[in-house]
Amino acid sequence: MSAAAGYYRPGHSWLHARNPLTKLLALLWLVLAAFLLPGLALPVLVGLVAVIAGSAGLLQATIRSLRIPALLFASILLVNAFLYPGAHDFLARLGPLAVTREGVTFGLVSAGRLLVAFSASIVFLFTTLADDLLEALVERGIGHRIAFLVLSAVQMVPRLQGRAAAILEAQQARGLQTGGSIVSRTRALVPLAAPIVLGSLIDVRERTFALEARAFGAKPGRTAYRQVPDPAVDRLLRWLILAAGVAVLAVAVTRPLA
Amino acid sequence: MTGQAVSEAGRAEPQAAAGRVALDGVSVRYPGRNAVALEVSLAVEAGELVGVAGRTGAGKSTLALTAGGFVPRVVHARVGGSVTIDGVDALTATQSALAGRVGIVFSTPANQLSASKLTVREELAFGLENLTVPRSEMDGRIDEVLDRLAIAHLADRDPFALSGGEQQRVAIASILVMGTSVLVLDEPVAQLDPAGSRGVASLLRQLAGEGHAVLCTEHDPDVLAATDRCLVLNSGRSVALDLPGTALGSAVQRPLGLRPPTLVELAELAGLPPRQAFDEEAVAAELARHDFRRQIEMPALGMPGDEMLDWMPIRSEPTPHLLVSDLVHRYAGGPEVLRGVTMTARPGETIAIVGQNGSGKTTLVKHFDGLLRPDSGSVEIDGRDIAAVPVGSIARTVGLVFQNPDDQLFNRSVEREVAFGPHNLGLDGGRARDLVDRAIELAGLMSVRTTNPYDLGLSTRKLVALASVLAMEPGILILDEPTTGQDGPGVARVGAIVDAYRRAGRTVVAITHDMEFAAEHFERVVVMREGAIIADGAPADVLSADRSALLASTGLVPPVAARVGARLGLSRTPTMAALLEALSRR
Repeated sequence: MSAAAGYYRPGHSWLHARNPLTKLLALLWLVLAAFLLPGLALPVLVGLVAVIAGSAGLLQATIRSLRIPALLFASILLVNAFLYPGAHDFLARLGPLAVTREGVTFGLVSAGRLLVAFSASIVFLFTTLADDLLEALVERGIGHRIAFLVLSAVQMVPRLQGRAAAILEAQQARGLQTGGSIVSRTRALVPLAAPIVLGSLIDVRERTFALEARAFGAKPGRTAYRQVPDPAVDRLLRWLILAAGVAVLAVAVTRPLA
Repeated sequence: MTGQAVSEAGRAEPQAAAGRVALDGVSVRYPGRNAVALEVSLAVEAGELVGVAGRTGAGKSTLALTAGGFVPRVVHARVGGSVTIDGVDALTATQSALAGRVGIVFSTPANQLSASKLTVREELAFGLENLTVPRSEMDGRIDEVLDRLAIAHLADRDPFALSGGEQQRVAIASILVMGTSVLVLDEPVAQLDPAGSRGVASLLRQLAGEGHAVLCTEHDPDVLAATDRCLVLNSGRSVALDLPGTALGSAVQRPLGLRPPTLVELAELAGLPPRQAFDEEAVAAELARHDFRRQIEMPALGMPGDEMLDWMPIRSEPTPHLLVSDLVHRYAGGPEVLRGVTMTARPGETIAIVGQNGSGKTTLVKHFDGLLRPDSGSVEIDGRDIAAVPVGSIARTVGLVFQNPDDQLFNRSVEREVAFGPHNLGLDGGRARDLVDRAIELAGLMSVRTTNPYDLGLSTRKLVALASVLAMEPGILILDEPTTGQDGPGVARVGAIVDAYRRAGRTVVAITHDMEFAAEHFERVVVMREGAIIADGAPADVLSADRSALLASTGLVPPVAARVGARLGLSRTPTMAALLEALSRR
């Protein structure tokens, strides 16, 4: 995988055509709403993400990507269902453990919030080129250092994946067995993980050298080669999202604490 | 990462001339180290090309970083004296004061490219955007440097899908396009094929002719030959600053444990003045007048690093036979990188694989140990197809040393690193220890046995990676550009390892851009072009001057000795030794 492309999937959907800032704002709104609105709003939010992904032809890809956090979601659900502190509404018993209604509810809401945040982020990464986001941020007057921090964060995982693949090859070439039993898999971790950690330090130095050598951030008023379109509909969308954000905050503030 | 500059010289003189770089009584010390990394005075005038030579660790990179405005602003160091770049005091200057005045090119593209652009064209635009060049001017400037580096065909490719050498050309272009008056390059051609190195050499000459001040550190004789003056560093101090023919001559180089470039050695033998030391035609003409039959004693050409080393086999497995047939490989979504390659490596053969950047050399050898699997065709070891054999098992028989050691090293000492492979093979304690000892000795790493590999320089780390594969004693040893970044003694060490391993009856296959290295240490040379083999034979036949056109079609140039030999009407003289031998028989 190219680090520059990251998770980006080239396409021509209406979502691909949106300005990166519009999408970033929408992502922030979804995360905000997921964590501030009552749990009953979560099915609506999940549905909203699904509709957006589907309309961009990315529903299947988004669902496939959920296998990454699936284990986390399952464990949140299970741990809370059985071990929610102070719960007394028992639904079922399993030896010394009991499933409680409070636990199940809390587990579902927590996992649901993460589900919204994760799937919305993935749809954002699928449809937004990291470099376009950088340009859009810089154009908005965001400091170039901060903009580059955002870019690095977006690119970090694919960069590490690329490095990990090269390291895996190099260690296999020295006879490292990566398959087989749990024991041999665990033993294989150090020779793979250590060069990644050392490598990311080298990576930071390389990035610094490259950016300095290319005069990044040297002068105000950076010009742009690649034009990122920002049509009127995007500006309208951003105002709508901001209004929706205010609405979410209003609900959150006026709602009695659960 | 801005460093704390400690300028002992005070303010820059405002009248300092523009377009030049001047280091006046400069001393550089890195934090935590007592030794002075650099102590030098040097001025590169506008219109001048100055080369910097010297052994690994002599301070060449520190000089480049200092003259390029990276020390102390980006790389922490205590700096004394004064550094003036294009009229700006570099020891106190901010990034914006230096931007657009000096460009610095590193030897690895990873240090240079933004890593965020999808095409080469956008990558080149990045620097222009930062210098606030209007968009309307960008394409014109980009097209110009693409032409100058002969990479117009790469304009719309993904920079990360290019080969190492292609990326390096993009990296050089990415700095050139910014149009700075001062240019500093730190071993820019280490990864380039010979034609690419010559191209960069003549490009630097042109840039100086256009009024740039150009400073370039290099090991490559073609680049150093093109310079006006050449600075030779040893332990951070200048030992010579002279015409390249003098600075790279025996009188300066031999006391440092270095050998002059072959052409300079021949020129000295012919008695030419240093001014003509790189003039191939004059060297040949003068050698033709020389009577070598009467010369009883041949000049002492040997160097301390040349002594013969030995490898005593420990593992008893016989060396296998490698056969690849009709290999075709294509990376996802890309063009065919291998287009039907068939070759064998018989037990005990030494084979050099040469060819231009991007011709498929690394892709080919990664099939030998199963890291890549063919789209069609087969790889057989002793008649057995390895398609279903896991890489970790093939590693018992085929050992591959990667170009970048940092993908491999992870242990806290050289010794532990080298023991990693034998441990994976499950060898018993005694044999494993013997293998580790012998590998460390053969690679010349005895003095750094307990050192952390990351405290060593890149060229030593490459030898550690090599030793770590040697210690598995694979029947077939594969080296991907083992001499990149090595100085003369380093190249000699790698050559001695190849020779020793061959004498032990093992097979060695090496990818290299160094034609002299290929001619001196390998029995067979395989030439690749665009994913296919176009020549395969003994160095004397393949690397000969009458194959120049064929070699040029894949970015190669015959070695110096073959070229000079051809001018003298001698054939089959790929090495200096073969040339002198042929001369003495005339």
